[in-house]
Amino acid sequence: MRGRKLAAVAGVLAVGAAAVLVVGSAGARSKASCGTVTLNEQAWAGSTANTYVAKAVLEGMGCKVKITQIAEIPVYQALANGKTDAVLEDWQHVDQYKQYISKQHTVVAGGPNGVVGHIGWYIPTYLMKAHPEFATWKGLKGKESLFKSPESGSQGMFLGGDPSYVQKDAQLIQALGLNFKFVSVGAEPAQVARWSQLYKQKKAVIFYWYTPQYLNTEYQLSEVKLPPRFKGCQDDAKSGGNVKQYKCAYDNTIIEKVFSKKFAGGGSPAYPVLKRFSWSNQDQEIVAKWIAGDHMNPDKAGKKWVAANKAKVNKWLGK
Amino acid sequence: MAVAGAAAQSLPSSLPAPWWRGRPGAAVLVVAGMLLSYFGWKHHWAWPAALEWNSFSPHLDRFQAWLSNNRNLPHPNIAFRIFNGFANFLDDLVSWLTRLFYYLKWSGTTALGTLVVLRFGGRKAALGTLAAFASFATLGLWDNSVQTFALMFAAVGMSLAVGMPLGVLAGRSATFNRAITPILDAMQIVPAFAYLMPVVILFSVGPGAAVVTTMIYAVPPAIRITALGIRGVAPNTVEAATALGATRWQVLSKVQLPLARRMLLLSVNQTILFALSMVVIAGLIGGTGLGDAVTNGLYTDPAFAIFAGAAIVIMAIALDRATEAMANRTDPAQRHLTAHKAHVLRAYTAACALVVVAAVVLGHVFGAGTVWSRWTAQDWLRTYVQRALDYIQNPGTFLFRNLTNPTGNFLVQHGIQPLRTFFIETPWPATFAGLVLIAFLLSGLRRAAIAAAMLFIVGLVGEWANAMDTFSQVLVATVLTVIVGLAIGVWAAESRTVSRVVRPVNDVLQTLPQLVYIIPFIYLMPVSGVPGVVASVLYASPVMIRLVQRGIEDVSPESVEAATSFGATRAQVLLKVKIPLARDAIMLGVNQAIIMVLAVVVIGGLVGSGALGYEVAQGLQRNAFGQGVIASIAILALGIALDRVTQGRGAAGARSES
Amino acid sequence: MSTSTTGAKRLGSSSGNPLIRAEGIWKIFGKNADRVIGTADAELSRAELRTKTGCVAAVRNVSFEVWPGEVFVVMGLSGSGKSTLVRTLIRLIEPTAGRVEIDGHDVTQASRDELLQLRRHTSSMVFQHFGLLAHRSVIDNVAFGLEVQGKSKAERLARAGEVLKLVGLEDAANQFPNELSGGMQQRVGLARAFAVDPKVMLYDEPFSALDPLIRRDMQDEVIRLQHETGKTMVFITHDLPEALRLGDRIAIMRDGRVVQLGTPEDLVGSPADDYVSNFVRDIPRSHVLTLRWIMREPAAGEADGPTLDVSTTVRNAVPVIAASERPVCAVENGRVVGVVDKEAVLMAIAGEGD
Ligand SMILES: Nc1ncnc2c1ncn2[C@@H]1O[C@H](COP(=O)(O)OP(=O)(O)OP(=O)(O)O)[C@@H](O)[C@H]1O
Ligand SMILES: [Mg+2]
Repeated sequence: MRGRKLAAVAGVLAVGAAAVLVVGSAGARSKASCGTVTLNEQAWAGSTANTYVAKAVLEGMGCKVKITQIAEIPVYQALANGKTDAVLEDWQHVDQYKQYISKQHTVVAGGPNGVVGHIGWYIPTYLMKAHPEFATWKGLKGKESLFKSPESGSQGMFLGGDPSYVQKDAQLIQALGLNFKFVSVGAEPAQVARWSQLYKQKKAVIFYWYTPQYLNTEYQLSEVKLPPRFKGCQDDAKSGGNVKQYKCAYDNTIIEKVFSKKFAGGGSPAYPVLKRFSWSNQDQEIVAKWIAGDHMNPDKAGKKWVAANKAKVNKWLGK
Repeated sequence: MAVAGAAAQSLPSSLPAPWWRGRPGAAVLVVAGMLLSYFGWKHHWAWPAALEWNSFSPHLDRFQAWLSNNRNLPHPNIAFRIFNGFANFLDDLVSWLTRLFYYLKWSGTTALGTLVVLRFGGRKAALGTLAAFASFATLGLWDNSVQTFALMFAAVGMSLAVGMPLGVLAGRSATFNRAITPILDAMQIVPAFAYLMPVVILFSVGPGAAVVTTMIYAVPPAIRITALGIRGVAPNTVEAATALGATRWQVLSKVQLPLARRMLLLSVNQTILFALSMVVIAGLIGGTGLGDAVTNGLYTDPAFAIFAGAAIVIMAIALDRATEAMANRTDPAQRHLTAHKAHVLRAYTAACALVVVAAVVLGHVFGAGTVWSRWTAQDWLRTYVQRALDYIQNPGTFLFRNLTNPTGNFLVQHGIQPLRTFFIETPWPATFAGLVLIAFLLSGLRRAAIAAAMLFIVGLVGEWANAMDTFSQVLVATVLTVIVGLAIGVWAAESRTVSRVVRPVNDVLQTLPQLVYIIPFIYLMPVSGVPGVVASVLYASPVMIRLVQRGIEDVSPESVEAATSFGATRAQVLLKVKIPLARDAIMLGVNQAIIMVLAVVVIGGLVGSGALGYEVAQGLQRNAFGQGVIASIAILALGIALDRVTQGRGAAGARSES
Repeated sequence: MSTSTTGAKRLGSSSGNPLIRAEGIWKIFGKNADRVIGTADAELSRAELRTKTGCVAAVRNVSFEVWPGEVFVVMGLSGSGKSTLVRTLIRLIEPTAGRVEIDGHDVTQASRDELLQLRRHTSSMVFQHFGLLAHRSVIDNVAFGLEVQGKSKAERLARAGEVLKLVGLEDAANQFPNELSGGMQQRVGLARAFAVDPKVMLYDEPFSALDPLIRRDMQDEVIRLQHETGKTMVFITHDLPEALRLGDRIAIMRDGRVVQLGTPEDLVGSPADDYVSNFVRDIPRSHVLTLRWIMREPAAGEADGPTLDVSTTVRNAVPVIAASERPVCAVENGRVVGVVDKEAVLMAIAGEGD
């Protein structure tokens, strides 16, 4: 007896579902020329800026734009089987390039996006002013205890970066013979919380940091110079080996774009536009600041930048 | 047998022995021994490289590359096509559901949800559901909520489709049950981060992969509770049906399933809650909706992450109450339908269906949006949340300077740090032997043997130091959890007001994604490890509180009456009667708490807890598959060891008795 | 009482083939149970066996036959193996060894299908804790056996209605088990067993969970039903008065063995051992013993006194014997088989209580 009522409810639902399918399939697919482009946005603000500016441009051409949010490494699998079309900011995942671009040919390189990333050791500018010797790493020697924290004991604390980022600081500290304890506080928001808290108290802190980053407009930070690069110097401690091979400053990172093979070879008018997409560190920082710092709606931010930078956009559009 | 023998020997004979002659004394001796070796030989005996299996990790990496290469061929082999087909099916399922909700418009979706709950769960639950929909709209997260809801629906449906049949099997066959229990344990202890990458390779990314990830976590409760329900059907009814010549299938369909209906619905309820706790992680591999809002919000807009977290909690609580109400109402032994009632109910169902259809039609006629976007209070709420966050982020406040910061520093300097040093630097044979001996004292020979094996595995995969680091954090968090849980649990058992206040708080703490409540503590107690520890205490305390409360409330009134009749004061009754009698429940609480703490300390790797959790997180995010798997194995081994050790002798004794 | 020994009894006839034949049944619970039988361990006491092997010998080498129409009672203290024994008859519990035959079919060798047919059509069982289905109304409970057989809904509801009338529950047809008293619930259990019209009814302590007055009622009910339908019954109980009231023959079990098997008179009149005599000590012998038990060969010329049927209990015979000057003649099938005098009656009554 109950069963019948359940069946009645199920019936109503089924009719509804069927209606949806009919309507849904009739409504989709207009604009056959460009279709839908799927961009992947990553968690940091710079990536959001790229994605939404590109979105504004593509929508201006009449494309539909979908946005996925998949983490940096898994997104390669998504590119490989066409679940997402483009990643506009990739910090040189060499292993993935080897596997997906060179070996499987399921992903294609899209060239630099114009932004140059730089990783380094940073301290607050007020600290640099008080201790000009910190301009190079040698100045840190013997002064490590200035950076003491509850978890570093008698050593100084070096605040490591997000575990997902390229880094070699623990090895570098060892190679340079500095009396720092490498402390990782985890993901970027936690790391920012940690150093910004100390920054606000005008205390001493040294940490892994990078540009471009919208927070650089909010906090005054200065870089500590590390030993110069030499041939064969490594940046990613993942490869292991002797610590000596890490004893140099981080290289500048050319930020790349990568595309799904399907998208690149599919003749979409969006592809050449995204391939030409390229802007500067300053451009990106401005948009990122609007979105992350001022909580502007990302769509609005993208449109705002596009409206204000016609010349650059026209170049991407090939006009 | 051996366990029983050992237990019998160490049991006090007729005269009560002084404590130092008993097990506590032995435990103190063991700890003293460990301390001695720490001071005598610290640093000298790290886990030897000879006992490590180093080539395991590269093997795993190569395996992953092989998988990926073969999967992404233009024409992958049949196995990968099956995985592909399954992933596509799940993708379609989720997108159908999403489109269904969009088609219904916000008006129809609300009507459908509310009326289904009204019809099967009653008025109170329906009001809750309506309020939940309203709050999604208010928070400005209707779209995300609908997406998450579609994802949940698919994941829960699939989990039940897999879990219930297996649960029925496990309920009917003790052998099968025994065989799958360790697998289910593993599925729940291994952090989701660890299997995210293999899932991505096999199922690619997107809603389908998110559903699979969620299923791995949500299937075990579906199986367990279904089995419990089947086993809970009185054996004599089953026997009666068998005696009348019912086939096994008839017994199942006509007796066991109908009689277990309440438990089956409860398993739906638990599956939903477990699935919801995975939305955030599912967001990392393309699950859309609230999960995404949390992770991305964390980086760029914490206030938004908090809203999304709140929406998840609201969804969880509404679904929990709704399914609980439905489960209670359908208890076959409680509710009987007469023909008349059935007729009325049928009319009621029809009316509800009509209202839903009307809502959909009206929605279309008046051009209602697919989602609610007209008026939200997000901006208004944001000013308050942001103000609170600003306060929290400001290191100049009284709260920070005098309370949270010193507390955090204290925890690190006098809790986590010394313990970590102790466990890592004590010669490993001493740590190893000490832990196993303590396991033996607490839980008997068999479990001590399991603990020893697990600790050895931890060392073998080369994670000894990291595991000891994680272990010290777990220890600190568990001690705090037990203190908090005992205090609040006892209080709640003794005072109805407190109990009424505590329940909703517990619900929120258990369903709020851990990453969300870690946020404030990142600012308030900015020392590595502490946010993770605090978050795990917050996460595990509810269970401890509940079990302590239930244990104390379940103490038979006769015992209390007897004590009172001898003139015992309330405090004496509590200390001498209630708490001792509630010991089993409290032990169970410790056991559950320690596993939950472990789970969160691992997630804490994202916010500075380091150690195994860090390894796993990095394994996923930097594509070091081998590293991630190895750390996961270490976590699993540590979890099993901790679980067995804290199961205690009570269970061991009972088992060898029967 | 008077009806018990005359009415329901003696319907069984020991002629023809037995309906149930159980030969050498063993049931040992525990690992490697089958290795115990045939070794010296099998002769150990239950406690010794348990400490030695961890096995529990619930039923040990039990054999009996039940004749059509007979009420066969198994009785013994709690834990003596009664429930296990009755379950092995239809293999709800697999016997470890032994052979069971019901209605000419070998149950122990039966395939799963044959076993189902046997359970569906030949036997049915009534349980101590009723075993009713809480999610079904009374009438659906009663119809369950027929439903399992695949009978149509109309057919089974019609039959269930009939049987409910038989047990006097026609008004409760649409109620649910938890709305009924214990006695009523067991009537439903009875009706459910009757509904399939089995040849053999198995009762496992059906009335132990009921209070004494209701138990009395239910016993009357069983007697009446048995009377009306002539079913063969195997009835488990731990209550001696109940056993005596219902049973044509009674098997007394102790620690898994049958220590005595006989008519109520045999048990009361000549208990096989202390265990049995302890049981029957408080039973008024005059209520159980019949004239057959105390009569003697008629001396010459004694065969002309007042006559009584040989199956009359002593108690019922007392008024006649007391009123008669001469010894009373016990008659069976119109033939005088013995005589009973006052002295014999007094002896029988005097024997009570020791
Ligand atoms: N499944 C089982 N496993 C192990 N031992 C069992 C099992 N079932 C019964 N036993 C043992 O077999 C013996 C006989 O049990 P059974 O239930 O047949 O006794 P009973 O005479 O029916 O008792 P009661 O009057 O209490 O119902 C008992 O010692 C019991 O402990
Ligand atoms: Mg029994």
